[in-house]
Amino acid sequence: MADKEATMYVIDLGKPMADCHNGRDESDLDFGMRYIWDKISTTVAASRKTWNVGVVGLNTDETDNNENREEYQGYENISVLQELGPMSMTSLRALKSQIEPSSTSSADAISAIVVALRMIQVFTKKLKYKRKIILVTNGESPIDDHQSEEVAAMLNDVGTELVVIGIDFDDAEYGFKEEDKTQHKAENERILKTLVDLCENGVFGTMAQAVEELAIPRIKTVRPFKAYDGPLTLGDPQKYPSALSIQVERYFKTKRATPPSASNVAIPNGPSQTQGRDDDTPMGGVDFQAVKQLRTYRVDDPKAAGGKKDVDMDDLAKAYQYGRTVVPFSTSEEDYVKYETTKSFTIIGFVPMSSCEPFLNMGETGLIVAQKVNEEAELGLSALIHALHELESYAVARYVSKDKAQPQILLLKPNPAIEDDVECLYDVPLPFAEDVRSYQFPPLDKVLTITGNILTEHRLLPNDNLQQAMSDYVDAMDLTEFGQDDDGNPAEYAPIEDLYNPVIHHMNQAIRNRAVNPDAPLPPVADILTRFTHPPEPLIAKAKPEIDGLIKAAEVKKVPPKVQGKHGRKDTVKPLSGLDIDALLGETRPRAKKTPISTENAIPEFKQILETAEDDETVETAAKQMGDIICKLISDSFADVLYPRAAENLRVMREELISMEVPTLYNTYLMGLKESLLSDELNGDRREMWFRWVVGGRLGLITQGESEVSEVSEEEAKAFLK
Amino acid sequence: MSWRKDDEERPDSDEGDEELDENDYKTQKDAVLFAIDVSKSMLKPPAATGDKKADKDSALTAALKCAYQIMQQRIISQPRDMMGVLLFGTEKSKFRDDSGNGTGYSHCYLLSDLDVPGAEDVKKLKALVEDDEDEDEIMVPSQEPVVMSNMLFCANQVFTTNAANFGSRRLFIVTDNDDPHVGDKQAKSSAAVRAKDLYDLGVVIELFPISREDKKFDLTKFYDDIIYRDPAAEVGESGGPKTSKSGDGLTLLNSLISNINSKQTPKRSYFSNLPFELAPGLIISVKGYIPLNRQTPSRSCYVYEGEEQAQVVQSETAQVDFAARTVEKTELRKGYKFGGEHICFKPEELAELKQMGKKTLRIIGFKKRAKIPSWASVKKSLFIFPSEEQYVGSTSVFSALWQKLLKDDKVGIAWFVARENAHPVMVAIFPSGNPDDEESNTPYLPAGLWLYPLPFADDVRSVDHVTAPARPADELTDQMRQVIQNLQLPKAMYDPRKYPNPSLQWHYKIVQAKALDEEIPESMDDLTLPKYRQIDKRVGGYLAEWKEMLAKKASDLQNNRAFKREFEDGDDERPAKRAKPTKKATIGGGGPANSNADLKKAFEQGTLGKMTVAELKDIMASKGISTAGRKADLVERLEQWVEGNL
Repeated sequence: MADKEATMYVIDLGKPMADCHNGRDESDLDFGMRYIWDKISTTVAASRKTWNVGVVGLNTDETDNNENREEYQGYENISVLQELGPMSMTSLRALKSQIEPSSTSSADAISAIVVALRMIQVFTKKLKYKRKIILVTNGESPIDDHQSEEVAAMLNDVGTELVVIGIDFDDAEYGFKEEDKTQHKAENERILKTLVDLCENGVFGTMAQAVEELAIPRIKTVRPFKAYDGPLTLGDPQKYPSALSIQVERYFKTKRATPPSASNVAIPNGPSQTQGRDDDTPMGGVDFQAVKQLRTYRVDDPKAAGGKKDVDMDDLAKAYQYGRTVVPFSTSEEDYVKYETTKSFTIIGFVPMSSCEPFLNMGETGLIVAQKVNEEAELGLSALIHALHELESYAVARYVSKDKAQPQILLLKPNPAIEDDVECLYDVPLPFAEDVRSYQFPPLDKVLTITGNILTEHRLLPNDNLQQAMSDYVDAMDLTEFGQDDDGNPAEYAPIEDLYNPVIHHMNQAIRNRAVNPDAPLPPVADILTRFTHPPEPLIAKAKPEIDGLIKAAEVKKVPPKVQGKHGRKDTVKPLSGLDIDALLGETRPRAKKTPISTENAIPEFKQILETAEDDETVETAAKQMGDIICKLISDSFADVLYPRAAENLRVMREELISMEVPTLYNTYLMGLKESLLSDELNGDRREMWFRWVVGGRLGLITQGESEVSEVSEEEAKAFLK
Repeated sequence: MSWRKDDEERPDSDEGDEELDENDYKTQKDAVLFAIDVSKSMLKPPAATGDKKADKDSALTAALKCAYQIMQQRIISQPRDMMGVLLFGTEKSKFRDDSGNGTGYSHCYLLSDLDVPGAEDVKKLKALVEDDEDEDEIMVPSQEPVVMSNMLFCANQVFTTNAANFGSRRLFIVTDNDDPHVGDKQAKSSAAVRAKDLYDLGVVIELFPISREDKKFDLTKFYDDIIYRDPAAEVGESGGPKTSKSGDGLTLLNSLISNINSKQTPKRSYFSNLPFELAPGLIISVKGYIPLNRQTPSRSCYVYEGEEQAQVVQSETAQVDFAARTVEKTELRKGYKFGGEHICFKPEELAELKQMGKKTLRIIGFKKRAKIPSWASVKKSLFIFPSEEQYVGSTSVFSALWQKLLKDDKVGIAWFVARENAHPVMVAIFPSGNPDDEESNTPYLPAGLWLYPLPFADDVRSVDHVTAPARPADELTDQMRQVIQNLQLPKAMYDPRKYPNPSLQWHYKIVQAKALDEEIPESMDDLTLPKYRQIDKRVGGYLAEWKEMLAKKASDLQNNRAFKREFEDGDDERPAKRAKPTKKATIGGGGPANSNADLKKAFEQGTLGKMTVAELKDIMASKGISTAGRKADLVERLEQWVEGNL
């Protein structure tokens, strides 16, 4: 469970905060607020009721805090901008309007810390909380340090962490030093540093570093979830006394993190607002309304208006498909279809590590450890882990996480405290028989001819030269020691802990930005998220000779776009025997111009005519006949029954006319067809044919991109489909 | 694309994993028509050998059984694909509804029309193969020889009308006759022409020849004029049908099933023409496939049984606001919950946010295979294979990379975006060996490269909460090695083909029984269950010894720990007396993990109730006890635990 938190921000709003320093073109306040807004919006995004945020303004024109009573002095110009409490968008907006530089600069930062601390004390009482005060200042206003020790003692007593982030404060460790620092700023830095040092739990840093570190993605931590708690067995303890049973617990080791999910919301006040001014729709600061999904159930009913009628959920039965047959199951029968299982975790057998290919893994990894405070389990599991490790073996086990759950096959891998600093088994799910699709592919290291000969030299196979070039290239681009660890020693490049999910972090960044600045454009993708999209530059430079060598040996050529369309139809097609089928066709199917293409065998006949066509007229006639067939299919179609066939004929016609380089024939035909379809000329309402099959099937006009001789541009083609 | 349907399915609307190839707008469905020869020789039962295991099926029965089995299989694994069965050479003729002989396709009997198979189709085949019921006398060979061109045109019409726009259409011819038109040149030519029609239509003919009594099935006599190379086949793919026969311990049925199964699954690509940037400036093109995909039972739907026939209900959803007013599409925005409100983006901004670069597979370097942690798994891998369509020379470069990775045990590390707008992932590129290699780990998978998704740092869960310190190996380890060595799986590998998914099998067994009005089965063979008897036989002795050893060691460790704790407790009891608040010293001090002795003491003294709720929860969480409820509940539960465990 995440701990309860109480965090106070103390923000310097003094007059000097409005100035720009050290070559920045934003004011000190804006610079500092980048850090604070990021922190606060992260809290808002988490929307945890137990994370409380309060804000104290330092150097405000007014004075509004509980400490400013007659018996105390030095609490002037300090205001509570927000009481401690959960942070929402409303409070964020309210806070935002108060963050303005003031016209004063006389308040005491340490007093402000005391104000914040008192608020924490009152709010958290003696309960368990993570307490924290974050002070952001440029250290220009005077600080009275004679009570530093008492304040530090109070902070320690309450158990509060103090973080001081100074704008342009010197930080030798980070490597920042302000050259023309004023005397009083240096003194203030010293005072604050001393105070932090007196705290048991304190951080003192410079804003430049804090802002830089904002780019490092923060990974959401998730509460550990125990997926299984029970015995891991070898053999059946119910039946065989020899059987082994070790009490284990299973947790997740990996679990896919997902980007924030969006829900549908409606623009308030209905559609009137949105008409014609889509771009002006505000994106933040407006109360979008959540929408609900309303589900209705309908069945075909020829008697009802529109051919369909609504049915009540209560009149429905659950069913499963068996092929095209629908098999209803009553509520009492429904349990049958679930395979009855009982919670168990049992080893099927063992396999050598070398026999297991990682690409068989079907999903996320689990982590298995012995039950706590169970000596037998600890020793037993440890022995299994070590024995597996020594024998370079894995175990294969059947896993049922709870009663009635579907069994899984898991591969158990030993980790004797090497990869993680705990002794455990990792597990990954393996495929079942049904999960394997037997796709056939030709071999990659030889070519089989139709006659059954095996060739080892062929244009599809790499020659020795290419093999060598590839080998040199792969060796030159090795990342194993290309990176650096914290001490600058060679280390693995791009280890998993450096791979951040770019979508998640970029989305989060954009959402936080928009929350704080509703009108700002999207932020660019942070460099840290795109680090691994390309090979590292220094490595490319180093491996230049090998890269050039590989490119030369590879002799890869891009296929010009025009040839791609023809799908290698240049060669005449022959059956395996090599029979001259075209000649045979010429004999058996004498094709006079007058014998029209038959509807039944339209596609083959159309293709065959075009294959042997010697003049444009033949092509035109064939296209005309094909067009007529398509129209006839549509007008003969009862409802949409013949649409797929018409669409397929149209598709073939389109493809063939592209390769014959007569796109205009198709385009002209299609324009006519569109009109007939949309004006109900083909025996009724045929709009579905147009929208679903022609538009949806991407059978629009042939563009210049597809055929050079076409006169239709991309835009025209797009407009035509609208 | 999927990667979906991993063990816990998440509704991942942003990333439709199994989305089809963007370049392929044809319906990505498969239609298979079985054309089975009915002749005297096909009907002839095998010679009786007296051997119990010998074949008892005629070639026709074997072919029908095969079709029956494949139909059931397809219902499970390809629920949207079509299948049909056409018998040819029959005395009777039937096409669609007209059952007379005036069909034009004489001696062709369309047993099951091409469609998504349903219960009736399964029943029909079942009756023919299991009960030997042939009431309609279908399986009677005609007197005159069948005209092959007729059969081929019949198939043509079946495909043209029922599967007009299917991406994959195949005619499976099962016959034992290698020369149906002996000496009739005219008939042969007509068949060749009709075969060309099928080719032009985009139908692929797959021949499954059956050879009997050592007679070789000679393709040159007839079928070489009928069969074309699959235009969709990869360049260099081996053609040549495999002959099925009985013998070598294999029944004709098994031989046939194995041959048909290897062709049965249509090869669907998940993406094509993906630019694979092997090195800066070197791009080849590859296609992607999903050879491993979690199959799940069909989802339930709702039916309305109100009128004569049960009807599947179509559900429609409408978006409504709080006042139940339907919200128009133009008013809808995608909102991200943020601090109690919604943060919205314009549609074009959303598109920009998701755009993380063009579709590509780009190698950024290579690593030793061992550098990929054994736990680094999040979802299934994709298979890629070169294609010459966009870059000539892709295949040889791909092959060179594949051979190098295999030889040196290396993997490529790459940035991978499968489609425009797809979420990017980092992948490790693993090679798979030749399936027909003796040493292959995956004889059931093709040779090529696999894109193995690496977890992001975001996907890795912290393990800080577990305490399992490193421990040295000991005699227990040695004894366990005996057990492991004696319980190797067959062929020292996990072969998924031997482990059907029991939940899936059960689901379809029940649904099928109900669909066919059969008795609901009580039980089923679950091949994923360990062979308990064998385990006991092979390693029972070792295990018994091991357990004895373990019990002793465990009790030693327990005593040792108890002693140590007492020693430590004794140590800090004196200062505890001096300090004022003694209440905490008894419990809170040592940390929950090693305070069993403290707990026991507190329990005996009845002071567990003096702990705070936070302390109780800490301790109980560390023992794996539920921490729900009020303080009294917690104390009671902890007391029970101490009583039972310490």
